[in-house]
Amino acid sequence: MTATRPWGRLVTILLSGGEGSADLSIVPAERFPEYMPDLSNLHVQGLTRQNSTFFETGDGLAAVASRSELVDGLVSESFRKRFGEATENLGVCLLAVGGYGRSQLFPQSDVDLLFLFADEAAAKAGREALAAVVTELWDAKLRVSQSVRTPAECSRFAPDNSELHISLLDARYLAGDRNLYLDLTGRLLPKFFLREQKSLIRALIDTAQDRHHEYGQTIYHLEPNIKESPGGLRDFQLACWLTQLGSMEPDRVPLSEESLPGDFSAQAMEAKEFLFALRCYLHYLSGRDDNRVDFDLQDAIAEKGAGKAFADRAQASDWMRQYYRHVRGINRLALRSIEEHGTARNSLMEMLRSGRSKLSNSDFSVANGRVFFRYSQALEVRPELVLELFRFVARHGIPLAARTERIVEQHLDSVRRYFWSGVKLWPALAEILRQPDAYEALTAMRETGALYALLPELEAIDCLVIRDFYNRYTVDEHTVLAIRMLKRLSGAKDKATVHLAELSTEVPRAELLCLALLFHDVGKAVLLEGHTPISLEKAASAMQRIGVDPEGQELVSFLIEHHLTMANFITKRDIGDPETIEEFANIVGAVENLRALTLITYADTAAINRGAMTAWRRQLLWQFYIATHNRLTGHVEDRRIHVDAEAPVLAKAPEEARAGLKDFLEGFPQRYLRTHSVDQILAQYELAKELDKKAASVTIQKKDSGYEIMLLTWDRPFLFATVCAVMAAFGLNIERAEAFSNEHGMVLDAFIVTVSERRGGAELDEGDRKQIVRTLRRAISGKEDIQELLARRGLSIGSKGRLPIEPEVTYDNATSSRATIFHVSAQDRTGLLYDLSSTFSKNDCDIEVLLIETQGRRAIDAFYVVGPQGKLSDAASEGLIEELRGACKYKAA
Amino acid sequence: MKRIEAIIQPFKLDDVREGLKEIGVDGMTIYDVRGHGRQKGHKEVYRGQEYEVDLLPKVKLEIVVSDDRVDATVKAISESARTGKIGDGKVFIFAVEAAIRIRNSDTGEGAL
Repeated sequence: MTATRPWGRLVTILLSGGEGSADLSIVPAERFPEYMPDLSNLHVQGLTRQNSTFFETGDGLAAVASRSELVDGLVSESFRKRFGEATENLGVCLLAVGGYGRSQLFPQSDVDLLFLFADEAAAKAGREALAAVVTELWDAKLRVSQSVRTPAECSRFAPDNSELHISLLDARYLAGDRNLYLDLTGRLLPKFFLREQKSLIRALIDTAQDRHHEYGQTIYHLEPNIKESPGGLRDFQLACWLTQLGSMEPDRVPLSEESLPGDFSAQAMEAKEFLFALRCYLHYLSGRDDNRVDFDLQDAIAEKGAGKAFADRAQASDWMRQYYRHVRGINRLALRSIEEHGTARNSLMEMLRSGRSKLSNSDFSVANGRVFFRYSQALEVRPELVLELFRFVARHGIPLAARTERIVEQHLDSVRRYFWSGVKLWPALAEILRQPDAYEALTAMRETGALYALLPELEAIDCLVIRDFYNRYTVDEHTVLAIRMLKRLSGAKDKATVHLAELSTEVPRAELLCLALLFHDVGKAVLLEGHTPISLEKAASAMQRIGVDPEGQELVSFLIEHHLTMANFITKRDIGDPETIEEFANIVGAVENLRALTLITYADTAAINRGAMTAWRRQLLWQFYIATHNRLTGHVEDRRIHVDAEAPVLAKAPEEARAGLKDFLEGFPQRYLRTHSVDQILAQYELAKELDKKAASVTIQKKDSGYEIMLLTWDRPFLFATVCAVMAAFGLNIERAEAFSNEHGMVLDAFIVTVSERRGGAELDEGDRKQIVRTLRRAISGKEDIQELLARRGLSIGSKGRLPIEPEVTYDNATSSRATIFHVSAQDRTGLLYDLSSTFSKNDCDIEVLLIETQGRRAIDAFYVVGPQGKLSDAASEGLIEELRGACKYKAA
Repeated sequence: MKRIEAIIQPFKLDDVREGLKEIGVDGMTIYDVRGHGRQKGHKEVYRGQEYEVDLLPKVKLEIVVSDDRVDATVKAISESARTGKIGDGKVFIFAVEAAIRIRNSDTGEGAL
């Protein structure tokens, strides 16, 4: 009998290669108690030996297996001492469950045991022996977590205790009645798991999703918990459990890792090996079940190494990169398992999934809630299809299948060659960034490496750890998270965010904001303090290469340059002080820039950590936005340009043009200088010179947001109304407009227009543009009858009708010292601006400044108007309000 | 010992911390708060629409100091936070019965 006792084997394990007591290995087993009077010594000596072995080999997998073996001996022996040696008809057996059941016992992990009694009577009879075993094991410094069950209880579903059921997936026999164990694992448990498969899978997924939520759904924590964070060991096990449950057999519980998807297993195993070694190191170092890799520990590993496991010394940030790259694989494995097992067993998800499969097109198919290439060779002949793929993800928010990810990874070289051979990336990238789920696409692009193949400037911040008090994520994660925050704004409902959400719908080219966010922190890879100039430099070269238009480049550069400015003003300056507002207004220059910068500031702050964008901060940001907005729009006509000889704009102009340019600029509003580059001003000055020969200079240029029509002419009554009428006649929607006049009576009107659906939304060809220019010139010089023109083109201005949006018209005589401001908000329609501006002209009012916007079907216009005596009286303003309301209700036939 | 509670303008936080550091006060607790005193908020106009801003963002500091340092601390806060305008904030002083450092059970002023 003694030959089968575990002591001999146990002591051999403990002392082979141990210190100073090798003689014990040959002591007859029956005399062990004399030499090893308590389990505590055995345990401590065993741990000490394993500790040094781990630091010699760095093998975490071997370390956990070795501790399991050590503990097997201890607990089995204790059990046998109290319950007897029999392995049959004993009525009780001892099982290892959970991680210990898998023989993966980390140095400081609890020892999970199940005492399985044949029935209640046996359990009652064995109560004292059980208590003695547990006490002895605690005295041996084993943290035992025991449960006591009968087979019937193990196969009865307890909704509140799914953890126990899951732990039985890894049940392993240790001692006692073997038949009891075989009956449980070969008959009862398979049936139970097949019966309760759906509930257990749901419970596993719910718990995992709660845990992921708690950790912000990201693996990129600066001080991660390697067990609980997304991509950690718990997620590896989650994938194992889900596949075990998914492939359950009627007479057998599959082993923990035997059913893992083949395309993931190699990568996941490598990651597992890394994390096992790291966790062992953490446990040995701290002496407790501590799984958080904090900054001190990262430094310690970087400076001293961590035994053989992490012998290659590196900067802590480099070392952490290894960590993130490993857990990426586990994270993908876990998410894929959740998707597959969750959808397969949830009817609602099943419906959603089948609905999604209808999104399949000629290039991609959607199956099991994942995107697949229809033809796996497609990228070989059409590398550009990779961007179509990510656009598909960004549009529908459907993740890539593992096979699709692999195909992309295999074709990165050809994709890189294709886009570096002169093909402009921007149009396709912009399309991705415009989509509602751009974050999902960017994440997939990063995980497959496509993002870095296309924009190699970003690779420097991949998994980059920058430590400061507030940031919780790596720089790359902060970057994509900021884009997610921006995109999520549009659906925000809470009161504090709804204003910002409205702003996000008013930005004409949201893709440029995303591009600015992608690059705003790239410089941190080189320099933490003062990283902005480096980010700007990297962004400039990338934008040039991928073909971003000059207008877009200008906005992106502005946003990167000032991505910290607004936050700094809010926290360090008195935002109630008009001088602060004035200073900031001068930096942003125009309302369009202010909107974009406010959104960037919001997104950048919100992506620092989950609690960074508090209601308190949102209110400060919003207050500062309003104050600056009011400054930019409320005093635009008051501050006029009086250029002195030293003005920067003159210094940049050619010597011979300076006198004429100074004369041209005199009296324009200051806003003109802020909203136009020196090159634009010089070009417009050249156009102004042509006014000696013709009634008006007109240019039309294609822009990303539509067409820009620039018009220079001499002021005259009904001028603006006439121009608006021509636009309406040609089916052009005025999206934005600005009007400026200088002290010589020269007027510069700038319009951004789009082609209305009435024209079929078609582009303007060269012929169209020439005709519009010709008609504008004829109309301005009085050679074109406006009413006739409108009638000829199927429009009549003047027929009344009710429209769905009730017009709102208010006036403001307080904000401006020179003009009365009329705010008009009404249903947008062709000819609206013509009707409104005609109303002012008929009342002898000049429009000094006009700011217009379109939000969906609503037009929001601000007219700065002066009458023959300057500001209008309250009575006159009230009268005009009525007329303007009437004008809003006119409807084009 | 006294607990000094100061409500200040958010943008004055760095100045106040600097002022306190100069007299050797390093420990403090900071809260983002909203409220109003005599300033009572104000009305904002945005695109022609008026709306009330009744609770204004402020920062609250809490500091516990020994009795002999109260005057210097209040002076440092007041001088650093002052702009001379309505809304600069207020300082309140409360008596503290006891202080205990959790780490080593130091008590009284030794725990500060």
